[in-house]
Amino acid sequence: MSSTSQKHKEFVAEPMGEKPVNALAGIGEVLGRRLEEKGFDKAYVVLGQFLVLKKDEELFRDWLKDSCGANVKQQGDCYGCLREWCDSFL
Amino acid sequence: MAALRNKSDQEIKDLLDEYGIKHGPVVDTTRPLYEKKLKETMAKAKVTVTKPSPDRTFYREDQEEVTYVTYQTPVRSEGPSGDGKPYMRSRPEYSERDRVDDKPYSRPEYSERDRVDDKPYSRSRPEYSERDRLDDKLYSRSRPEYSSGRPYIDEPHVYNTPSSSSYSKPTPVVKSGGGVVKKENTTSSGRLIPLWVQFLVFLILAGFLYFIFTNMESAESSPFNRIQ
Repeated sequence: MSSTSQKHKEFVAEPMGEKPVNALAGIGEVLGRRLEEKGFDKAYVVLGQFLVLKKDEELFRDWLKDSCGANVKQQGDCYGCLREWCDSFL
Repeated sequence: MAALRNKSDQEIKDLLDEYGIKHGPVVDTTRPLYEKKLKETMAKAKVTVTKPSPDRTFYREDQEEVTYVTYQTPVRSEGPSGDGKPYMRSRPEYSERDRVDDKPYSRPEYSERDRVDDKPYSRSRPEYSERDRLDDKLYSRSRPEYSSGRPYIDEPHVYNTPSSSSYSKPTPVVKSGGGVVKKENTTSSGRLIPLWVQFLVFLILAGFLYFIFTNMESAESSPFNRIQ
């Protein structure tokens, strides 16, 4: 299993509450700003999108690429982060 | 299907199911993604469908052109009776091509054509290639009619005997055109040496090697025997 970043560990450790979108693993400043412009200003909104896409990896990756231009690694980090969070808390 | 935007959510969902695309509910945030996926899938489906047909017609044209060109020489050699009269007869395709000379000509009306043909006939030789292209479809349609042995009223004597004997079968002409191509013109097939020559050379070489092999001395006897 690939090692997870510090950001990932922190995110999945607790309920996300009102954390901003750039608290998600893989989402930095630039991507975070782009997502906020589209209306995804909180992590839970992205979670909502993740759930509406039925937690499907390919769909979520495609959506992330289209909405903020995330590359493959960023897509994977974000997906993994959300999935693990869901496994623990959903 | 350019109106993906105008379709209702339900219709988008139905399309997704139709193409077997895995999806969730179609909501505001997911709709653009699904529209994009549908567009890609539909474009891919369209490509596979439309591909074969253009190729088919193209091939037919190609073949006709090819056979046309290559046929000239053999026809020429055997036609003592006229300049190019045997041309017409021998190649059903040719005659159809001739017909193109007279634009107002209707395809199936061969008889009229013959008469008018004399002049354009002689000069039309080099122009065939162009005409071929014009005529492919018309050509193929009228070819079956040709096989019935349509008589050329003007010069039946010229055509029938020499040409009919050799080119009595109009339909195989097309197929044999492929063989003729190899002999006459290499432009279409792209072979410098004809195939049959290659096979022959190969067989000769193989036979030669086999002959040598069988005539070799057996290795059972020791080569180190003393000469006594």
